[in-house]
Amino acid sequence: MKDKNTVSAETGSTMSGLISTNTFWTLWLFVHLIFALGLLGALTHQAAAVALPVRKPAGGIVSRFRAVPAAGYATTVCVLWVLTYLVGSYIYTKYRIAIRIPLEAQHYYKTGGFFDFKEHVATLGLVLLPAYWYFWKNAQNPQYDNARKGVTLVLAVMCWFLFIVGHVLNNTRGFAS
Amino acid sequence: MSTTAAATPRTGPPPSSLAASSAFGKFVTTFSISGPVVYCLVQYFNYPLFTFHPATNRIVWGYEAARSGEGPNMLWYGWSATTILIAAALGIIAMMLPDRIARKIPLSLVWILPILAIPYVVYSLMPWWILAAHR
Repeated sequence: MKDKNTVSAETGSTMSGLISTNTFWTLWLFVHLIFALGLLGALTHQAAAVALPVRKPAGGIVSRFRAVPAAGYATTVCVLWVLTYLVGSYIYTKYRIAIRIPLEAQHYYKTGGFFDFKEHVATLGLVLLPAYWYFWKNAQNPQYDNARKGVTLVLAVMCWFLFIVGHVLNNTRGFAS
Repeated sequence: MSTTAAATPRTGPPPSSLAASSAFGKFVTTFSISGPVVYCLVQYFNYPLFTFHPATNRIVWGYEAARSGEGPNMLWYGWSATTILIAAALGIIAMMLPDRIARKIPLSLVWILPILAIPYVVYSLMPWWILAAHR
């Protein structure tokens, strides 16, 4: 059943007659990209700060990149991960019909497999967020130092993986396809 | 100017009331430790909380196979929902543990278990890799 705010799965239909279905999903893909970029930047800064902590006043751009107040990123990372996850989950409904089926028909099996891999990794990352947030909010407690470092690095690697797979998939059949 | 203090969290503000709560700490660590394990088990035994049929926008409780003429089914949402519910339940149970027992849970499992889950996830996608190999 359709109402004025819903979009049908068929290509070519419109939302409220204002924009095409392609534009509608491209806008959501763009929102997903913006959230993902913010998340990637925040997590990379934080991972660099915990993996290679700055020991002296920052000088060059690399030292400054590592010298961010990493604890302040924790809540932002959690919010961005959840937002990116939710928007990605919404886009996934369209992907399953309009992207994956043509990918399979054209025998892009590795691409399809890596997208499913990406979805699993996104959920594995999602369930780490509560502990990640707690460890960073208790940064004064040395008991959490190793776990905080480990979980931050794992999330950063996951985020890069998700971003790269999403980017490649988009190049295969994404924006305006 | 950025200094050591900027990157060293020890000098940060004291934790908020939620982050200072020992019970919340037990909940989140148990949730995050059990989450990857539960996700792999849920996927292996195929226990989605619900199944979504994107072509017809139909949601069904539990598992339902794709119906002829109605397009594919999607289980990932249901697997994720089941995982969150079970991990949360385990976290709530962990909140009741005495501190002396909860302290024995190795915190490093929070980042080790998701790494260990990756080989299983790759294995679970074997149909894709087989198709790719025979292409």
